[in-house]
Amino acid sequence: MKMLKMLAAVLTVTVLTAGAAFAAPKKIVVATDATWPPMEMVDKDKKIVGFDIDFLNAVAKEAGFTVEFKNTAWDGIFAGVEAGQYDAIISSVTITDERLKKYDFSMPYIDAGQILIVPKAEKGLKIADLKGKKVGAQIGTTGAMEVKKNAGVELKTYDEVGLAFEDMAAGRIGGVVCDEPTAIIYALKKDEYKSKFKIVGKPFTKEAYGIVVKKGNKELVDLLNKGIKAVKAKKADVAIKKQWLK
Amino acid sequence: MAHIDKTKSIADVGDGAAIPIKSDRGLFTAWRIAFVGAIGTLAFLSFYKPDPYLNIIKFVPDGIVVTFKVTVGAILLASIIGLITGLGRISSNRLFNGAASLYVEVIRGIPLLVQIFYIYYALGRIVKIPDLLSAIIAMAVCYGAYMGEVFRAGIQSIPKGQMEAAMSLGMTRGQAMRHVILPQAFKVVLPPVGNEFIALLKDSSLVSILAVADLLRRGREFASESFTYFETYTVIALIYLIITLFFSKLIGIMEERINAEN
Repeated sequence: MKMLKMLAAVLTVTVLTAGAAFAAPKKIVVATDATWPPMEMVDKDKKIVGFDIDFLNAVAKEAGFTVEFKNTAWDGIFAGVEAGQYDAIISSVTITDERLKKYDFSMPYIDAGQILIVPKAEKGLKIADLKGKKVGAQIGTTGAMEVKKNAGVELKTYDEVGLAFEDMAAGRIGGVVCDEPTAIIYALKKDEYKSKFKIVGKPFTKEAYGIVVKKGNKELVDLLNKGIKAVKAKKADVAIKKQWLK
Repeated sequence: MAHIDKTKSIADVGDGAAIPIKSDRGLFTAWRIAFVGAIGTLAFLSFYKPDPYLNIIKFVPDGIVVTFKVTVGAILLASIIGLITGLGRISSNRLFNGAASLYVEVIRGIPLLVQIFYIYYALGRIVKIPDLLSAIIAMAVCYGAYMGEVFRAGIQSIPKGQMEAAMSLGMTRGQAMRHVILPQAFKVVLPPVGNEFIALLKDSSLVSILAVADLLRRGREFASESFTYFETYTVIALIYLIITLFFSKLIGIMEERINAEN
C-alpha cells in the first residue's frame, strides 16, 4: 500500500512538471557583450540594458518565448554559440559573408555603419588620412576589418571599445573606429571625452545587424524571424529606437 | 674564490618552467619529449592542414617579437628595481627599508592582472608614454617586487663574516657591498633570475589585454576573424611551450655551469 502511494506521488509530480514544461514558454539563452552602449551595456543596477535587449524582449513577446541574457566577452562570443553554451547572440553583430559561412543569422533588424572618431586637434577626415598612426577598434569587429584595409595605418585591437577610447585620451592612438551609435555615446555624451574627441564625417559602411544562431538551427531562425516581422509590422521598434538611439 | 655557504642558499622564488632534474638523464627525458613533441606537432599540423595552421603560424611572428621585447625590457627594468628593493630590504636605514618593504607588500597583495591594468591606465592619465613602453613599465613594477626578494635572499646568502672582514680592512659598508658582497650575490641569484625570466615570459601574455600586439593578441585577432578558436589556441600554446622549454634548458645548463665552478 505504501509502495503504491509513493508510486502515485512520483507519477503525479512527473506529470505536473512535464505539464508545466509544456505550458511554459520556451526559454532562449542569448549572449551579449554588454560593453557597447547604447546597444548593450550594464547599467548602475548591474542589469543588462540597451536597444538590443529591449528589441529582443519585444521579439520574444511576439513570438512567444522568454529570453535569458548572458554577458559574454566579444572575443570568443561566436565560439560559445558554436559550443552550445547559449542559443543565440544579439550584440550589434553585422551580417557579413565570412560570418554567414560559419553561423546562421536572423533577418536584419536594424541598419548601422562604421564611423571614425579622432582627437579634436586631428585634421584628417578619413582613416586613410591617419597614415603612420595607430587606429583602434574592438577585436574581431567590422570596424577592425575596415581599419585593416588602409595600408600605412596600424590597427590596434581592444577587448572592449571603451579601452580604445581611454587609450586615445592617453594619446597612445590617433583614432577609433566603431558603430555610429556607440561613437555618439563616447565622443559626444561622456563628460571625460566630449571635450577631447570629435566624430568625423558620416558612417562610411552600410551594414545590417542580425541575431546569430548555430549553423543549422532553422527552428530558432524561423522563430526569431517571426518575432522580428511582427515587431516591425506593429512598429513596436520605433519607440525602442527613440529611447536608445536619440 | 670566496666561499659560498650552500646551506643558506636561497629558496626557489620563481615559478618558471621546470628545471630539468639531474637524475632525469637518458634519451627520453620529459623535457625532450615535450620539446620535440611540440615542434613535431606544429610541423605536422602545418604540413597536414596548412589551412588554417600554416596561416596562423604566418600571422603571429611579429607577435613573438613583441612578446620578447616586453619580456626582455621588463626583466632588465625589474632587475634594477629589484636590486634597489633588495638592498632596501636589508638596509638599516629605516626610511629606505620601510619604503622597500611597503612596495613589496603592496605589489604582492594585488593580482598581476589588476596591477597591469592599473599601471597602464594610471600612467596614461599622468604622462604620455607609448603603449609598448607602458606595458613594459607595468610588468617591471610588478616583477620588481619579486626580483627584490630574489636579490635580498641572494645578498643574505653571503656569510656575514665577509662584510665584517671587508670592513675590518677599512672598507666602508657601501664599498664592501659593491666590491665583495654583490659580485658573489649575482652568481647566486642568476638561476632564480632565470626562473623569473621564464615566469615573466609567460605572464607577458597578460599584456595582450592592454591591446599590445603580442603573441597571444595576434592569436586572438586571427581567431576572432577566422573563427578557428581551437586551432589558433593550439598553435599559440605550442609556440609558448617551445620558447619556454628552450629557455628552461638554457637556464638549467647555466645553473649547472655555475655549480660546477663552485
